Amino acid sequence: MKREQSRKRGARFLGALALIMIAVGLYWGLVQAPPDALQGEVQRIMYLHLPSILTAYLSFFLVFIGSCLYLWKREKRDDNLAHSAAELGVLFTALTIIEGSIWGKPTWGVWWTWDARLTLTAILLLIYSGYLMLRSLIDDEDRAALSAAILGVIGFLDIPLIHMSVYWWRTLHQPPSILRPDKLPWENVHPAMLTALAINFVGFLLLYFYLLSLRLRLGEVRSEIKARRLNQGAY
Amino acid sequence: MGSWGFVFLAYGIVWGCIVTYLFALKRRYRCAEEELMELRTTEELSDHGKK
Repeated sequence: MKREQSRKRGARFLGALALIMIAVGLYWGLVQAPPDALQGEVQRIMYLHLPSILTAYLSFFLVFIGSCLYLWKREKRDDNLAHSAAELGVLFTALTIIEGSIWGKPTWGVWWTWDARLTLTAILLLIYSGYLMLRSLIDDEDRAALSAAILGVIGFLDIPLIHMSVYWWRTLHQPPSILRPDKLPWENVHPAMLTALAINFVGFLLLYFYLLSLRLRLGEVRSEIKARRLNQGAY
Repeated sequence: MGSWGFVFLAYGIVWGCIVTYLFALKRRYRCAEEELMELRTTEELSDHGKK
């Protein structure tokens, strides 16, 4: 019971910290950072777009880790991690696509184009939406977890493809401004823009871990309900 | 729509979706906890009955 209460207190603290960072990030992104020399104010969508996709990548990395561990040890805890992270990853990927679409209209003139990076990101969303559907379609819990774990490992292969797509193919999507092998971030981006990006990224990370802690706890409670129902059936 | 219109549209949709998801998650969690409490109470009552 004490452990439970300290977990709840920790989650609340994380949530409050996320709220503060998000508020500071909004101020930096919408007020403090200067407009882009070419794109103007619309470039401010970057302060949402980049943190969203990096959070989605982190989430799918956790799905990958949880899936590998489940395939190895067959423990429900690892499956719960993969399942929870997949749900959050789908949310952040969908948001990234929506933000990108809104950013694309004034800069590219279209809401959507079949560019390599955009298409691969849409495929990523489909893979993990399929992952969630697969889990809900199979009644046997162990079989659902096993099938989902295999898809969770295979699906992760799409992420390096997304990252490298701007180098391997001629794309409309710009190459990375921050994660470049040839330049350090502060050599390429205005310090105020970089600060806004960093604050927003930390805010997204804190929010992500807060949501993940809630989603993990939900998975644990559901498992306990199922176990108790099975026990009651056995009486 | 002007530049700021696109910016506010993006920020509005993103934060709207995140807040909606957060409330939905909290509601799912609350419902699951209530169900678990009910089950625990039922089990305790049946244990007392057996004794």
